[in-house]
Amino acid sequence: METLKNRIQGLRDQFAQAAPQVLDQAALQELRNLYLSRKKGHLTQLFELMKGLAPEQKPAAGQEVNSFKQYVQSELDRLEKELQAPSRSGPSVDLTLPGRASYWGAPHPVLLIKERIEQIFLRMGFSIEDGPEMETDFYNFEALNFPPHHPARDDWDTLYIDDDLLLRTHTSPVQIRVMEKKKPPIRMINPGKVFRKETPDPTHLPMFFQVEGLVVDHGITFAHLKGTLEYFLKALYHDSIKIRFRPSFFPFTEPSAEVDIGCTVCNGEEDDCRVCKGTGWLEILGAGMVDPQVFKNVNIDPEKYSGFAFGMGVERTAMFSFQIPDLRYFYENDLRFIRQFSKK
Amino acid sequence: MKISIDWLKDYVSLDLSDTQVISTLNRIGMLVDEWEETEDDTILELETYANRPDTLGHLGVARELAAALGIPLNMPDISIVENDKQIAEHFDIQIMDEDLCPRYCGMIVSGIEVGPSPDWLQKRLRALGLVPVNNVVDVTNYVLFATAQPIHAFDLAKLKGSKIMVRRAKRGEGMRTLEGRDVALSQDMLVIADEKDPVALAGVIGGEKSAVSEATRDVLIESAYFDPVSVRQTWKKAGVQTDASYRFERGADIKFPPHAAALAATLLTQMGGVAYQGMLDVYPKPARPKAVVIRHHRTLELLGAEIEEAFVTKTLKDLEFQLKEQQPGIWQVTVPTFRVDIEREADLIEEIARFFGYENIPSQLPMWETVDLSQDRKRSLETGLRQLMFHQGFDEVVNYSFTDPAREELFRRDRGAIAIRNPISTRAALLRTTLLNGLLQTVVWNKNRGAEGVHVFELGHIFSQDEEDKRELQAMGMITWGALEAPHWQGPGLTTDFFHLKGTCESLVASLGYQAVSFQSQDHPFFEAGHALALHLKGTEAGILGRLKPEILEAYDLNEPVWAAEIDLDVAFEIQPHVFHCVPVVKYPSVIRDISFLIDRGVPYQGIKEILDGLNLPYLERHTLYDRYTGTGVPEGKVSLSLRFVFRHPQKTLQAGEVDALQEKIGKALRSNFEIQLREGGEN
Repeated sequence: METLKNRIQGLRDQFAQAAPQVLDQAALQELRNLYLSRKKGHLTQLFELMKGLAPEQKPAAGQEVNSFKQYVQSELDRLEKELQAPSRSGPSVDLTLPGRASYWGAPHPVLLIKERIEQIFLRMGFSIEDGPEMETDFYNFEALNFPPHHPARDDWDTLYIDDDLLLRTHTSPVQIRVMEKKKPPIRMINPGKVFRKETPDPTHLPMFFQVEGLVVDHGITFAHLKGTLEYFLKALYHDSIKIRFRPSFFPFTEPSAEVDIGCTVCNGEEDDCRVCKGTGWLEILGAGMVDPQVFKNVNIDPEKYSGFAFGMGVERTAMFSFQIPDLRYFYENDLRFIRQFSKK
Repeated sequence: MKISIDWLKDYVSLDLSDTQVISTLNRIGMLVDEWEETEDDTILELETYANRPDTLGHLGVARELAAALGIPLNMPDISIVENDKQIAEHFDIQIMDEDLCPRYCGMIVSGIEVGPSPDWLQKRLRALGLVPVNNVVDVTNYVLFATAQPIHAFDLAKLKGSKIMVRRAKRGEGMRTLEGRDVALSQDMLVIADEKDPVALAGVIGGEKSAVSEATRDVLIESAYFDPVSVRQTWKKAGVQTDASYRFERGADIKFPPHAAALAATLLTQMGGVAYQGMLDVYPKPARPKAVVIRHHRTLELLGAEIEEAFVTKTLKDLEFQLKEQQPGIWQVTVPTFRVDIEREADLIEEIARFFGYENIPSQLPMWETVDLSQDRKRSLETGLRQLMFHQGFDEVVNYSFTDPAREELFRRDRGAIAIRNPISTRAALLRTTLLNGLLQTVVWNKNRGAEGVHVFELGHIFSQDEEDKRELQAMGMITWGALEAPHWQGPGLTTDFFHLKGTCESLVASLGYQAVSFQSQDHPFFEAGHALALHLKGTEAGILGRLKPEILEAYDLNEPVWAAEIDLDVAFEIQPHVFHCVPVVKYPSVIRDISFLIDRGVPYQGIKEILDGLNLPYLERHTLYDRYTGTGVPEGKVSLSLRFVFRHPQKTLQAGEVDALQEKIGKALRSNFEIQLREGGEN
């Protein structure tokens, strides 16, 4: 009896070793014959062997042999199924090989940020307006309270086409054009390209994008300006961004403000921070309450309506958001730069 | 502008650290850009504002600080040593052009020994980065940077006669400036002249002839008010900008000239000079002070902050405004003459807000009402276009709107380019007439940096002009060159070709919701002959696509094909799109028939498609070209085309016989329009 048990154990081990080597039908048939052949198969031999045992040992031995037969049978069935499955029809596949990715174009980083800015204002119910890049002196300057020959115009180095036509130095003319056509309430942003007579260097460009905005309605106050711009900046950066409003002087707003955010790079913690120069603050927006003269220029009664306007440079915002060191990167169109934003 | 904290202390008793001074200035809008600590002083770089010329001197900045801190402002001491001569008996000033010079003051200081200034004065000027010259010149500079009032000193001995005339220049007059530059004068320029010649360009710069030198003993001090626009036009024409013109063009304080002259005389007499008695002050029509009404309730209405009346009145008084109450809560405010920026109530409210502190104004979101429910169609189309291009694997770029005339010439077509009068460089002298020039440069830039394929697009404005008009159009450009994908272990990557570009254009048109689209062969100056198509939307030409012509590519040293397209978005967006509605899904099975035939290679596919579309076959769901073959078994000059037709009846299963009839109709139509040979086995 012990001999039989040992023999079964030995055969079981041999089978377990042989099974993984079976890679095709021929090998499977060979294995099947080896164990189940009616003539010389191991199981046939085991049954033969059993015949020689004492009658009282036979039931236990029968159980052992049958159990082994079931094991062999089910293993052979499993191998059969696996051989029929396609993965076994050729050499096995190396799943660690690289997959086939699809190629998705990258947005230009300035337009990416511009779109994020637009999305926030759209959520607040602002409309998006645009206008020509080639503007008249009236819309670019005069209607915005820059009299002819005023030195304030020197702050904007203007590219001229002729005495009257110029490349707009800010997108504010769009606000004038909208106010001429629509009556309040007005709640708009006017993103777009603007131009200055500047030679490109790390901090200057002759062409860049601005997003400006305008709100005109009954009872609009400076407190609303603060609330709206704080909401915007928190949505653009994060809820706990530090925000500071400082007085400033613009010809088209009274009072005027400049808005700083806490440095997005050093968070005001590094004295030699390259981005905020150790001040801890980054200038991000110009804003103010619309000058009554600007309202009069478009026939809106400043006693009935009030409003605020604001503006920001998109490249600066993109620089702060992505830590881009040099403004010139934006318009070189080097795809090694632009492709990075396919992930954003 | 540089401001010395030590100098400010001459006018306000500052008991504060530098950091406190800086934050006080920032808080009221006088932005300190940066600062530098020196041995016994701190020099601030203060932002200047075009409408605040009063802060272009230390006194004006000190006035702001004094108001912010609620402490008094100390005006500079005036104490002049005089001789017994009355100036009026020895000298005369005549203003001939009052419109350009409403006020002119003169004082004479005699017996000066020209030499180095005392140390304290040299130190003041050095702190601002100025180089001391001599005591007289240094005093004029000192007064300018102290008070923002520019003054000038003439060598009295070098003036011809004993009279100054303030007049417009005469035809043909000229003058050599202090800096030794000859300026031709025109009749709209205001000059200071002695009895013979111009001796100074009013408000801009003095002349060389009357300049103070080592030999000077007696000086005439000029302290005047000149018209801002006139000064600006004069310096621009003469090409000389000075600290004086910078202040005059922004607006000086018309009340201040006598004080500035007296301050200069005080300093010069401290250095050994003796002044003539009195001052010549020609001021024929004294300016009436500006008066502005401010209503207390407007501060709440504009600022959204409750500010007490007492704060309003105190702030304005601290800033030297005079208030007269007209009614409770309403004052008439007399504006000091140095505040040229204050004209309206809003300007006064700005002052109150500044000193109240922006941080003390609450933050509120307005109760928004819906403004406009209409959809912004153009914007949503643009957003859709960009997404589609990303999906097609095109990267987005932005090129400059200006171009190099030599490069633009390569892309010349039936429209003129607009020139910029004062371009940043001659290579950026035109406004672009096409996006393709910039896009091609993007290809070249990236190819030169190792790219193996560049597929980019740009949305932007292009400009053109004809005799009548200058135009600005919105366009979309795309360009494709080289490898579309990196090689993969499963096979080499695809390379771009015309059909990649065309497919992108087709998807683009579909995404805009246009169905009636056609492509027509067209000759176009950008493209190789026979390699361009015009894109038509509902019969209107809306774009062009093709293979850029070799002359253009050669100019960029490119010898591989580049395909590009430009779509006129103003035209495309104008066309009303097909109204979308959903079609029910039919549950009956389709019947598919494939038809293969041989046809002359020269027959354009578009012709075949138009015939098939023209049949208006019932139950035809779609037909597509699924194979195009030349080679073994296809005779020379022929091509084998295989088309698949999918038929489906909306209400029942189609019978073979019904489809046979339709298929027969297709065969007949093809045979009657083209010389074709149906291929056996092409049906199943």
